[in-house]
Amino acid sequence: MTELSKIRNFSIIAHIDHGKSTLADRLLEACNAVDNRQGREQILDSMELEQERGITIKATAVQLNYKAEDGQTYHLNLIDTPGHVDFNYEVSRSLAACEGAVLVVDASQGVEAQTLANTYLAIDAGLEVLPVINKIDLPSARPAEVKAEVEDIIGIPAEDSPEISAKNGINIRSVLEMIVKDVPAPEGDRNAPLQALIFDSVYDSYRGVIVYTRIKQGTVRAGMDIKMMATGATYKVVEVGTMNPMGLTPRDALGAGEVGYITASIKNVADTQVGDTITTVENPAPQPLPGYRAVQPMVYSGVYPADGAKYQDLREALEKLKLNDASFVYELESSIALGFGFRCGFLGLLHMEIIQERLEREYNLDLITTAPNVVYRVTKTNGEVLMVDNPLDYPDPMEIELAEEPFVKISLIAPQEYVGNIMDLAQQRRGEFKDMVYLDANRVELHYEMPLNEIIYDFFDALKSRTRGYGSLDYELIGYRPSKLVKLDILLNGDIVDALSFILFADNAYPRARKICEKLKDNIPRAQFEIPVQAAIGGKIIARETIKALRKDVLAKCYGGDITRKKKLLEKQKEGKKRMRTFGTVSVPSEAFMAVLKLDED
Amino acid sequence: MAILGRKDKTPLGIYIHIPFCRSKCQYCDFYSLTTKDDRLLDGYLDAICAHIKEAGALAPGYSVDTVYFGGGTPSFFGADGLATILTAVRSSFDVSNNAEITFEANPDSVSPKLLRKLHSEGFNRVSLGVQCDNDEILDKIGRPHNFAQAVAAVKQIRRAGFRNLSLDLIYGLPGQSVGSWERTLQNVLKLEPEHISCYGLKVEEGTALHKYQEYLNLPDDDAQADMYLAAVEILRGKGFRQYEISNFCRRNYESKHNMKYWTGGEYLGFGPDASSDFAGKRFKMVRDLRGYIDGILTGGQVIDDLQEIPPRERAGEYLMMRLRTGAGVLPQEYEKQYLLPFAPLEQVLVRYADSGHAAKLDNGHWRLTPEGFLISNSIISDLLVAQDKSAPLAKKR
Repeated sequence: MTELSKIRNFSIIAHIDHGKSTLADRLLEACNAVDNRQGREQILDSMELEQERGITIKATAVQLNYKAEDGQTYHLNLIDTPGHVDFNYEVSRSLAACEGAVLVVDASQGVEAQTLANTYLAIDAGLEVLPVINKIDLPSARPAEVKAEVEDIIGIPAEDSPEISAKNGINIRSVLEMIVKDVPAPEGDRNAPLQALIFDSVYDSYRGVIVYTRIKQGTVRAGMDIKMMATGATYKVVEVGTMNPMGLTPRDALGAGEVGYITASIKNVADTQVGDTITTVENPAPQPLPGYRAVQPMVYSGVYPADGAKYQDLREALEKLKLNDASFVYELESSIALGFGFRCGFLGLLHMEIIQERLEREYNLDLITTAPNVVYRVTKTNGEVLMVDNPLDYPDPMEIELAEEPFVKISLIAPQEYVGNIMDLAQQRRGEFKDMVYLDANRVELHYEMPLNEIIYDFFDALKSRTRGYGSLDYELIGYRPSKLVKLDILLNGDIVDALSFILFADNAYPRARKICEKLKDNIPRAQFEIPVQAAIGGKIIARETIKALRKDVLAKCYGGDITRKKKLLEKQKEGKKRMRTFGTVSVPSEAFMAVLKLDED
Repeated sequence: MAILGRKDKTPLGIYIHIPFCRSKCQYCDFYSLTTKDDRLLDGYLDAICAHIKEAGALAPGYSVDTVYFGGGTPSFFGADGLATILTAVRSSFDVSNNAEITFEANPDSVSPKLLRKLHSEGFNRVSLGVQCDNDEILDKIGRPHNFAQAVAAVKQIRRAGFRNLSLDLIYGLPGQSVGSWERTLQNVLKLEPEHISCYGLKVEEGTALHKYQEYLNLPDDDAQADMYLAAVEILRGKGFRQYEISNFCRRNYESKHNMKYWTGGEYLGFGPDASSDFAGKRFKMVRDLRGYIDGILTGGQVIDDLQEIPPRERAGEYLMMRLRTGAGVLPQEYEKQYLLPFAPLEQVLVRYADSGHAAKLDNGHWRLTPEGFLISNSIISDLLVAQDKSAPLAKKR
């Protein structure tokens, strides 16, 4: 076990694209932990999707051995946190495993919404926050101003902050020195009852679940019987060790202050919830570490195989994904229109997109996703209170005493010239203006309260387009408020397609219904007969479009030389049709479902 | 030992691609050149004749019952060249006495002399590219002739002794209306052809038309559909049978050669970009005249794309090609040939019959109606989906 004074546990926090993962890579290189010719960028983001999107989805940790200028060798444990607001809770648990946080701020962009949000999370967790000014190689870099911004807006000293370029490897050692000097060494009693914080876990098909943990008190070693204090699950430890850039290194024991992994033939990540505390069966800790929260999905949507016959494949894929991601939930649902599928709950829209993309890529599935919705709280006239996460379960209007929807407090930061645009957008989305603060001469932060439902569709995209990409967003849930809600049904050729039904704010129903009918008209291929597309509330039609009958889809000429080409064309058409779902007599391609989700206001 | 009589031989079609034109039409994406380079023309003739000789030796069990000279513009290539190639075919293949021997011609490149020569060589069918009776439109689409020339060409063709004449027309041309198309048909019917092909204009990528299509006032799909149905109606009224999506003829004047494409017959193609379906394989010659000539004369690679088509794929082709024809598909034949059930396909066809796009005939065949032909891609792809889902029938012992 490493001496406490030689350990530094830290994470790197930043607004998206400010260079967090690149800095992490440079730190690894500087400690000779990886060969910089390895070629692959951003080692910590190992998921293909993470590398592609340039975001961190899962937390990971890695131990660096750094020989500091004082001649001593330190174990630096870098805990990489997810960088998106959907994963705020995960971020908070990762931060709870550290004593310090390196705050990366882009030298030209300055402080952004997530810079603030993540910094506050770090400060709340009692961390020493150490700013670093990145991207000083850019011509538009203005390090002095950005430092002043950090001091003014966040209120932490930044005068002596390293000015670096992670991309070009400039001043990386100064960051390492700062970590050694300014991040407090961990504290803890290695003889006390075990308290180990789970900050993530991954499923490995050979070892079972690998739990990433920070030992707060006590010591854990192979052979011990351990207990997860929130879930109550008990296991016998098979192996403990540390995470190195090239893999896992077994060790005899992990003691207070250390960061490492535990394996214990655990079959299911659901038993190892992020934020839970591990203790020993023999000598349990009197209480768990603070801050544990059960996972609570914010956004739900139906996920169906595009080809109904692939239902079993989807089920297996979900089971496997769930092994690795305890934060999403699913349960069987069946739709008259789509057959068997699953109602899935996600932490947010990004999380939803990620799960869908992983299902499609890693498990080679074609999916149909229904419109995402939040969880509504409905009080019926008989006093019963329902949490409705599926439009199909929405009660008849006659039975509803009170309908409520979740609200969030959002913070938006942008250059002041876009304030008008942002206000328009927020108003369209039922935002209630709270206040506006000038962060500096040029930039403002606006606060609104608005229904969560209004931001789960395309709010972030709309914000970006209205602020030429400069706007940034953060939000947190503030509870339920009464609302005027209705369920909108879509009819194709006179029949309700249940999978297209959704719940929305009553005043938005008419414009929304019109737009959806138009979208469907554009996305459903013409058939041999005319197809009416209608939107209805409680049986009353409020919008209608008509898809004209298909009149011409023919290859006029087909002689010897055309056969191969025609065959390819028909094959393609056939494959397209296989991905369609037939509702009564109408075939709907899966893209139509997606199109309905993306209704840009412009 | 019995000698293999002609009746026991497998019928074979031969296609000759003549890749030369006077000028390139705006809509055309066939492989053709506008060269008059004598060395290239001679090289082509040498190569194609050598190719025919080589292939003839490999097809002893076949009897040729159709020869088709297409292009390009065969009439522009000249009577002597065509005659030389036909002679090569006759000396290398067993060509039956009553074989259908067709050449394509344009009104501007026929002459009484050329026609007499070809008739005496044994050519017995002419396919003349008329396209339209409106000179302004003909000019706009880059045709090198006017309608008067087409009328004169028909007279010359008849005078030379041809009794089987097909006229090619295009509808959906720039500025064309349903009314003007109907007048074209009336004027063309006055020329009393045995066979008429009506093709909806398709703007192919890489053609001049594709580049300028926005400026050309092209009729939309609905207008094209109306024109098509008008043609079916008018031609039927004049005693023409619609025996394929785009082809109409008087009784017994179907193009025997083209029917091979739609009914799974075997054919060999010669010349650059010519396609073959022979002995279970489909292949294509390189789409490059010099490459073709060099390949044949110096023993290089001339085959561009060779595919062995497995039976399951043939089952798809059966639907895709047969449903182009007026006779359509025969369930018993389909089940016997491919050991696949027809019932799932019938379910689809019944749905289309309900909407007037398909019909079951008294002889048990299923065919598409003219409205069905118009959306045949959509119907066929539905059938292919149903076919993919069907399990093979057990083989009857």
